[in-house]
Amino acid sequence: MTPVAGSVSLSLALGFGLIAVLTLFIYTKNQDQRLFFVGQRLALGVSFFVFLATFILSYQLMISNFDIDYVARYTSIETPTIYKISALWAGQSGSLLFWLFILSIFSTITILQNQQKHYSLIPWVIISLTITQIFFLILTNYVTNPFKPTEADFIVANGNGLNPLLQNITMAIHPPTLYLGYVGFSVPFAFAISALINRDTSPLWIQSIRRWTLVAWLFLSMGIILGGWWAYQELGWGGYWAWDPVENASLMPWLTATAFIHSIIIQEKKDMLRLWNMVLIILTFALCIFGTFLTRSGVMSSVHSFTESSLGPIFLSFVFFILIASFGIMYSRLDDLKSPKKIESFTSRESGFLFNNMIFVVLCFAVFWGTLFPVISEAVRGYKITVGAPFFNQINTPIGLILLGLTGIGPLLAWRRTGTKNLIRKFTLPIIICFISIILFLLIGYKGYVVISFSLCIFVTTAILSEFYLGIRVRKNKFDESLHNALINMISKNRSRYGGYIVHLGIVFMFVGFTGHAFDREKEFSLQIGQVEHLAGYEFELLDLSESERPNHYAWISKIKVTDYQGQFITNLYPEKRVYFHNNPDVNRRQPHSELDIYSTLNKDIYSIFSSIDNQKQIAFLKIMINPLVRWVWIGGYILVFGTLIALWPRKEE
Amino acid sequence: MKKNKFTLLIIGVVTITGFWISWVSYNPADEKAMATFISVNELINNNISKRIKLGGLVKDGSIAISEANQLDCNFILKEGSSELYVKYDKTRPDLFKNGAEVIVAGRYTDGVFYADELQTKCASRYEGDLRNESSYNLIEVGQ
Amino acid sequence: MDILRDYGLIFISFVLSIIYVIEPLFMSKLVDTYDSENHKSLNRKKIMLYRQVKELEMEFDIGNINNKDFTKMRIELKKEVSAIIAQLKLK
Repeated sequence: MTPVAGSVSLSLALGFGLIAVLTLFIYTKNQDQRLFFVGQRLALGVSFFVFLATFILSYQLMISNFDIDYVARYTSIETPTIYKISALWAGQSGSLLFWLFILSIFSTITILQNQQKHYSLIPWVIISLTITQIFFLILTNYVTNPFKPTEADFIVANGNGLNPLLQNITMAIHPPTLYLGYVGFSVPFAFAISALINRDTSPLWIQSIRRWTLVAWLFLSMGIILGGWWAYQELGWGGYWAWDPVENASLMPWLTATAFIHSIIIQEKKDMLRLWNMVLIILTFALCIFGTFLTRSGVMSSVHSFTESSLGPIFLSFVFFILIASFGIMYSRLDDLKSPKKIESFTSRESGFLFNNMIFVVLCFAVFWGTLFPVISEAVRGYKITVGAPFFNQINTPIGLILLGLTGIGPLLAWRRTGTKNLIRKFTLPIIICFISIILFLLIGYKGYVVISFSLCIFVTTAILSEFYLGIRVRKNKFDESLHNALINMISKNRSRYGGYIVHLGIVFMFVGFTGHAFDREKEFSLQIGQVEHLAGYEFELLDLSESERPNHYAWISKIKVTDYQGQFITNLYPEKRVYFHNNPDVNRRQPHSELDIYSTLNKDIYSIFSSIDNQKQIAFLKIMINPLVRWVWIGGYILVFGTLIALWPRKEE
Repeated sequence: MKKNKFTLLIIGVVTITGFWISWVSYNPADEKAMATFISVNELINNNISKRIKLGGLVKDGSIAISEANQLDCNFILKEGSSELYVKYDKTRPDLFKNGAEVIVAGRYTDGVFYADELQTKCASRYEGDLRNESSYNLIEVGQ
Repeated sequence: MDILRDYGLIFISFVLSIIYVIEPLFMSKLVDTYDSENHKSLNRKKIMLYRQVKELEMEFDIGNINNKDFTKMRIELKKEVSAIIAQLKLK
């Protein structure tokens, strides 16, 4: 297939999209059923042509057709197959097509899934999804077309190829995972807007989007964690989160989405917080588009930034359009969003959810503020003030800890009002254990945020475990089940609740990991073979320096022996200094890279970097970092995924 | 009645948040929390002493690594036609080399910029080499 | 030749999709689907409410609700369920 077919497909998709929206809009006015089906089929047609275009681009990548600019830029004949596939989302135009592709899949599923229900809502759902598709179609048709032919007046025999440093699995999976999250929220948003327009105040549509929301949230969470993991393993600065604008761009929708997931529980059960939920889903979707914009338009100079292009203004316009249109519709339907029931007491679970919403929004705003600080300061003062990680850490730590505390308190509160009796029953044990922990940690010598953080982690864990215990005990008394069966049945009959508690446990583990930062140590030094250095009670001895010529790079390998303060052998570390393209006559095209070696245990990571080598004197320049508790972050991540899967597990009735 | 309590709560939260964020914005605890991003030209002309962030290219051939301690390095930062002498003594990022696009943060004293942060732009995977926009690693096959 | 083949394929896809899209215009007026929608959504609501009653009982057992509130909420939910069952009986 030639690239022209791809371009034409995209144009047809755009055409179908515009007519689909028009048709469905007319249908909502004159209720002619036939127009509904025409519009629905047009929308399916949009997705069909997007699938076609994506298939064509993938095919061109696989056959290495360098007549297409995109293929020549991001692949070469030598590029391994899997990275030819992942090249689909490597570049700007391809990744936007990929976004569109995922959106089309979700749109198709939504349309087909709802053929027998939500008749009144579906037209506007499809309109909303199709408008989003149209936006990305405008971009890929006119601004950054993936099928653009190569500009060269000679035949291109081989392409640029993907930098070998970026050829690892995580870098291939991280973008699509994030995109599945970003795109996933278009569906709940579409339903919310549709319910708003149709004045549908029943909680049925909420039940329908619950699954979509959870899946999108899961992918977003995984994408964020994967990004952090890759940064830690590959980038070599010893951390997993730098409060980089692009990282923040993925965190912000995650925060509002998490609030939304919690808050819709209340609307489903008690029909409260309608206004909050509408605001939260609108913000989440807008932030997803905004996040895609921040990543792809190069507007903030960050480690991730790409070339600046005309993409920016168009993206921003779409974000503004979403916000203005959505909040406009919301304003016109404000009365529908007033809940018939009111929160009755501060010590109710309902009010706990309200607090929860507020804290998440505050956190999101704080991150937003810091991310846009340079832009704001330039507008206000005339010069850019950039903010770094310490700024974000200082602002967000107390807020994060409040959130952590709430994670423990919330589930212990009763509906409507927690009477004094229940307050004592539920809170006594966790609070006592928390106080004991505080005293213990202070005695050990920890201070400030560390004590608070660890103690809250223990508080929340106690609270979660006690909820599990109570639930099991009830089942044993009622049904006389064994401990094992009681646990399985209890979770099985309340998958959202207990899945959610497990997710909370995962978050607690991650906070333990975060708190480890307070104890980070690092040292940079040089060693000759046989020399030793010390850090944090460990001894590092350079045992060997060797060299190796490998297929696509040259490597200097160091062997470092690590022993503890008692002289016990811990491990050997083998950090390498590599040079890729080492045979390239142009010195500037050779690419050095430090291949880290990390020794990871539950209570600390020993992180070694081979920065440079003095070949003549055989001196290795090394950087060692001791990063305590990092493993807990990844373990917490796994637990989070596990808990979400339990919550998602389908029931037989459905 | 209950509605007022919660409206008060929201106002309270908004106010506290506003104060907290403004306070940290005006006096952050860590020196490295903020830096003013200006051009090299501006810095040299105005001799600014507070913490500054600069961006530019590493001038070809200007990287000098100390014999005694390979972590110690000087180079010249070039932005447009302005040049600045920079000293940095920590582990250099892998992509740091002649012509690399860098961002440095630190303080300017007596004509020398003492950098405590040095960042290079991420490996140009996404949009091709920034300085060779339309170049491909091509093998010409005649006309 | 490649281009001709591609244009041909695209043209065929285009024609087929136009046919697919226009087909509903030739349908006669359809069965009123709103009635069945109501029936289905009422059913869903009923199931949702039953589930909520069960959860309420479980929460009471664990101690997340006090006696008074439990009775009150249970009565409210049962009232809602009865209303829906009555509506369903009418269909």
